[in-house]
Amino acid sequence: MTQHTVTLPLNQQQRQLLEQTIAKGLAPDLQSLVRRALREYRAPTQPAEATKEAS
Amino acid sequence: MNRADRKLVSTLVLEPGTGKAIELLKGQILRVEQVEGGQCVDFNCFNLHDYKESMHTGRTRTLHGLYPTEGHFMWSAPPRERAMMYILEDTVRCNDVMFPRCSANLYESVYGLPVHTNCHDIQAEAQREYGLTPDDVHDSFNLFMQTGVRPDGSLFIERHHSVPGDHVDLLALMDVLAVPNVCGADIMRTSNFAIKPVRLSVFEATEADWAMVPALKTWATQRTPADFRNSRIKATRELRRDPGYSPEFTNVPIVYEGHAITLDDEEFALLTKHARRDLYGDDDALALRDIVFTWWEQTFLGRD
Repeated sequence: MTQHTVTLPLNQQQRQLLEQTIAKGLAPDLQSLVRRALREYRAPTQPAEATKEAS
Repeated sequence: MNRADRKLVSTLVLEPGTGKAIELLKGQILRVEQVEGGQCVDFNCFNLHDYKESMHTGRTRTLHGLYPTEGHFMWSAPPRERAMMYILEDTVRCNDVMFPRCSANLYESVYGLPVHTNCHDIQAEAQREYGLTPDDVHDSFNLFMQTGVRPDGSLFIERHHSVPGDHVDLLALMDVLAVPNVCGADIMRTSNFAIKPVRLSVFEATEADWAMVPALKTWATQRTPADFRNSRIKATRELRRDPGYSPEFTNVPIVYEGHAITLDDEEFALLTKHARRDLYGDDDALALRDIVFTWWEQTFLGRD
């Protein structure tokens, strides 16, 4: 399995929010939290108007 | 709720073209009531003990949407951001926090009427009783005002259907100077092309009234003058630079650091699938950051 490395740019405030989230127990570390976010992320649903135009 | 238990403190009829500044103490209710029906009422309030804290339609709009009603609060502006009033009852549910107060210039520039009743000047005249100036008037919470947003984003005003006896009950959560005024717009749809009186009544809230108010959290960021780097109220009109000024912006400098995140094939495929290429092009790192914080909003704020 290939490993892909992405260098995530975070400023100190963004990091603080994610560290608070880790402290809540959602993930053991930043790596795991980001991977969880990717898996649980819900893509926005297509706006009704755009769907209508596309069909 | 047994409103018959409320003790009436005072009542008056606000005549067309007028407003009234009323000292409303914490635990008192201001009822704004239709006399003939169909009359918009602009409403403002200030912290009675510190007029620099005042109701802010922007904050209120952010928390309660474009048409706040029963069960919603009126909030003060940043950096105070406290609940000032609670809407206990609203029999019409037809309020607006999008439109600013109408002004003299509106009537002159649009209608050619430089001297005309307008909410800014009525507010200013009512507030003058407490030493405030016309510059202290701010956008009002428009009670009994039917408004909307067109698909192109423009705003509109429509006639409304309140009838005699319809009312909004506002509970003071702190001591305030409440300033309602009869909207001066008689050549617009706002009050169905008329200006009519409204009745104001002040009651003492009962325990049942207080029981209606949701619990409010307090936050460290609800700042008071004690927290300000400059808490002195400026008393001169001209602006002059403070030679001793040294900026102290929060968390500055903002510094970005890279964090190496390893993804397996499946995760990388998810990143590729969800990446907002319209915003970030081929930059996977920025796309991943967007996904992480969007996930955070979805998880903790219930956003889409």
